[in-house]
Amino acid sequence: MSATREVISTGNDLAARAAVDAGCMFFGGYPLTPSSEVMHTISDLLPKVGGTAIQMEDEIAGICCVIGAAMSGVRALTATSGPGVSLKAENLGLAQMAEVPLVLVNVMRGGPSTGLPTRVSQGDIKQASNPSHGDYRSITLCAGNLAECYTETVRAFNLADRFMQPVIVLLDETIGHMHGKADLPTVEEVKAGIVPRKTFDGAPEDYKPYACGPTEPAVLNPMFKGYRYHYTGLHHDAMGFPTEEIETCRKLIQRLEDKVMAHQDEIELNEEFMMDDLTGEEGEVLIIAYGSVSLAAKEAIRHLRAEGIKAGLFRPITIWPSPAKKIAEHTSKIKNVLVVELNIRQYTEEIERASGRLDIEGLYKVNGRAISPYEIVEKVKEVF
Amino acid sequence: MAFNYDQYLRVDKMPTLWCWGCGDGVILKSFIRAVDKLGINKDDMCVVSGIGCSGRFSSYVDFNTVHTTHGRTVAYATGIKLANPDKHVVCVAGDGDALAIGGNHTIHGCRRNIDITMIIINNFIYGLTNSQTSPTTPQGMWTVSQKAGNIDPTFDTCKLAIASGASFVARENVTSPKKLEKVIVQALQHKGFALVEALSNCHINLGRKNKMLSAMQNLDWIDSITVSKKKYDTLSPEEQLNLLPTGVLHQDTEVAEYCDMYAEIQKVHQGQRGKITQDDFEKKI
Amino acid sequence: MAVMTAPENTPVWVDTARCKACDICVDACPAGVLSMQAEPTSTLGAMISVIAPDSCIGCNECELSCPDFAIYVADKKEFKFAKLTANSKARQEAIANNGFRLPTDYKEAN
Repeated sequence: MSATREVISTGNDLAARAAVDAGCMFFGGYPLTPSSEVMHTISDLLPKVGGTAIQMEDEIAGICCVIGAAMSGVRALTATSGPGVSLKAENLGLAQMAEVPLVLVNVMRGGPSTGLPTRVSQGDIKQASNPSHGDYRSITLCAGNLAECYTETVRAFNLADRFMQPVIVLLDETIGHMHGKADLPTVEEVKAGIVPRKTFDGAPEDYKPYACGPTEPAVLNPMFKGYRYHYTGLHHDAMGFPTEEIETCRKLIQRLEDKVMAHQDEIELNEEFMMDDLTGEEGEVLIIAYGSVSLAAKEAIRHLRAEGIKAGLFRPITIWPSPAKKIAEHTSKIKNVLVVELNIRQYTEEIERASGRLDIEGLYKVNGRAISPYEIVEKVKEVF
Repeated sequence: MAFNYDQYLRVDKMPTLWCWGCGDGVILKSFIRAVDKLGINKDDMCVVSGIGCSGRFSSYVDFNTVHTTHGRTVAYATGIKLANPDKHVVCVAGDGDALAIGGNHTIHGCRRNIDITMIIINNFIYGLTNSQTSPTTPQGMWTVSQKAGNIDPTFDTCKLAIASGASFVARENVTSPKKLEKVIVQALQHKGFALVEALSNCHINLGRKNKMLSAMQNLDWIDSITVSKKKYDTLSPEEQLNLLPTGVLHQDTEVAEYCDMYAEIQKVHQGQRGKITQDDFEKKI
Repeated sequence: MAVMTAPENTPVWVDTARCKACDICVDACPAGVLSMQAEPTSTLGAMISVIAPDSCIGCNECELSCPDFAIYVADKKEFKFAKLTANSKARQEAIANNGFRLPTDYKEAN
């Protein structure tokens, strides 16, 4: 999308606005620092356009009403932080299993448990990959600047409808509460780019919501329109009814995996910052970072280059599924790799898996404070 | 003429998976008759069920149906209803689903007085998972999780619902299917949160080790612990202690319904009216 | 109302594909119309049977109490139902006292 509109706001606020611009008509949630402002903003925006925003009695009710609204056919959003995702986990699993599209914005704070409610972390990376039990593939995006709080939320809604499942948008507290200028696409452009979920237009007696190809998502018509079927979290057949039949169960779970992994090209998004001249020579440095840390990393890279060190940043914007091929490609070329994250090795372990390397360096912080460009510069000099 | 239930059933799912003599089937029939009596279009109805034997209710009816996670029917239904306020949304949940794990959501559904009908099928046990104690299992009965005898006190579902703010509360037994049908009709017609507690028999699980192995024995026991509200109101507190009143126990048509109030919120934000203040409500605390 | 037409000249009829032999309808009948019969191929080894249709008074208790959509009663306009007689009551008592099965040697009083 081309950026042609300048808006001054916070990350949380932009995520809320993006949802409404992307056609979201339902919000359900519960206050949880540092995500509450998403709810505050959207509770004013949605009723204005005839939508509904409701503060429910707890986090679990928050996700359940969102899933219900999405099942009935509307685009729906919830916003929370780490402890809320923990509570929502079971029902996120139902949304995965029943293939219900929704967007969950997680504004990450210090954890685990109550942790540091008002301070930053990136400690929910692993959780985002598998918030709920069982086998399925998470789609998780991470905003790395203010504008992406908006554009990634828009993309999340389109991905949710495309793949018929929850999509998690990670903000960290720094970005969620950051107040500044964002260059955004116009609302018209966002609306023109809305790709709603596929629906079945044939005769109701021919409709089989879960009878789809092995790498395709379910086709779930809105409720109340003449197409009556069943939603369940149990293993189910083509009409959505519970079954334990051997082949049906195997194919269903395999399809939940393959519908995402066979189309990773539609989901993957990365930024390669100052990487054009990294050819694998001695002394080059590859930094991998995401979210607010990537802003510090970019600044650190400018400093390093001013000092003659060729450094570049690989920034995954789609966190899950991870850009494993790209990671492997870059890490096989460049010897010095430093992962910088506000957790202990959560994404580093994925990079180790994707690269096959166990000598990845890391700079980690878990005390609720930001990592400064200076710290990254010093670390690069220390380890390479 | 004989009632043609098949018009409302997913007939390829028959026979039901419920045990022989399980009252859930009687409740299902009463519900279908009620829907038919009101002439509700199948496409305008959504049934949301929980986990348990009662959870299978939704797969048998030819409506828009949802089988949710344990305890969360009201939360799912709230989302479906708010996004589609002119449609019928009915929750069906068991005693464990609605009162234990789902207690909070039941309470808040009542509190909001959102226009949902909730049928709580109370068979006084966790049936599907084989006899664990539920919040309504009588003290002293045998359960698999309290084989020495249940020490857990019980909820009165209807009292809880009334205290939480439900504007229509009724209780009936599976031994009175026509009365049950009647209160379900009233509940569906009522604008606001309408809770119907349907007392059912689980002779296979609750009854088996509590001297009620046959359906008839379990049904007789349900009859013995219930009495019409009219009669109940004449009894002493000691007599009332071991009885549950049946019939419509509470109805208030003056309470604001949640979707209606949210429509007012929409008007405020669209500049069609001033902000909502305390003066809009009778109850100010 | 969603209705279905009764088979010709039939007060009450059963769907044995759906009946689970729970005995409830036999217990509910006041007139000894119904009885369980041995059926080795069914789960509980029994199946519902309409043994005395002419005694049916059309009270509909069997249909109302059946949880399994397995028994249906005709309309007054479709069948002339009987009145409840001492005979019917006696037969019902015998059935109820014999595990909901009409005793094989049962003799109708006249």
